[in-house]
Amino acid sequence: MKIISRNLLLFAFLLLVYTLLFRFGLGSLLTAEKYGLVALISVLYGGIIFLTAWTTGRRDGRENFLFDAGFRWNMTTYVVWGVASEAWFLLGLHSAHETIRVVHITLLIWGGFLLLHFILFLILRRRTIKGVHKTDIFE
Amino acid sequence: MHEELLNAWEETYKKGQLTLWIFLALKEGPKYVNELQETIERFSKGTIRAEEQSLYRTLRKFYHLKMVDFSSGKGHKGPDRKYYHLTPLGQSLLQSFIERNILLFFEDPLKELLLN
Repeated sequence: MKIISRNLLLFAFLLLVYTLLFRFGLGSLLTAEKYGLVALISVLYGGIIFLTAWTTGRRDGRENFLFDAGFRWNMTTYVVWGVASEAWFLLGLHSAHETIRVVHITLLIWGGFLLLHFILFLILRRRTIKGVHKTDIFE
Repeated sequence: MHEELLNAWEETYKKGQLTLWIFLALKEGPKYVNELQETIERFSKGTIRAEEQSLYRTLRKFYHLKMVDFSSGKGHKGPDRKYYHLTPLGQSLLQSFIERNILLFFEDPLKELLLN
């Protein structure tokens, strides 16, 4: 049973690739003032993250049986997205239409939800024995 | 209709039974996964079939929870195998489970009802 599992690492890697592609696409489309496409790639970006998280999370559940109420995936998304976005701005790769303030505000609000998710995980953890959910121990 | 209902009942009844069969098979003695699979089939007269992957996953979980342990032993051919056995915790769990849930079927009036 691993906290940082193979599936989580795969998710983090794919998320990093998606985020860098999204950042590049976002900057290019904003510069070209193609706002309709900005909305489209944002939805695609969100959708593909959801699908990847769903697939890797389910596989991890089958292989790893560690109960975390999805917190590890949420935390990983937060960290990877945050680091990639901050780095994108620090390296000056952003477009003139983007400000780092948006990233900071997003991280702040998301951080609040992440904290709530962590509290929920701590509450639900009472239903586990050594990290395995009681209803998942015996088959 | 009868067969269909019986199958549906059995399907529900068998859910959650794998642990008991694994524990009983390991009570007989240490076993590697394929041996465990065969023993469960033999004990249950073919009514319980456990997938190899499902057994591996369950045993890993039981090992994590210290209900089973394993030692490496020689396979007939090829690499060493993991021979699983019940730990004292596993043994005492099985004993308590049997006392609370199985032995009552061997007492009157249930025993009589089951046999007649």
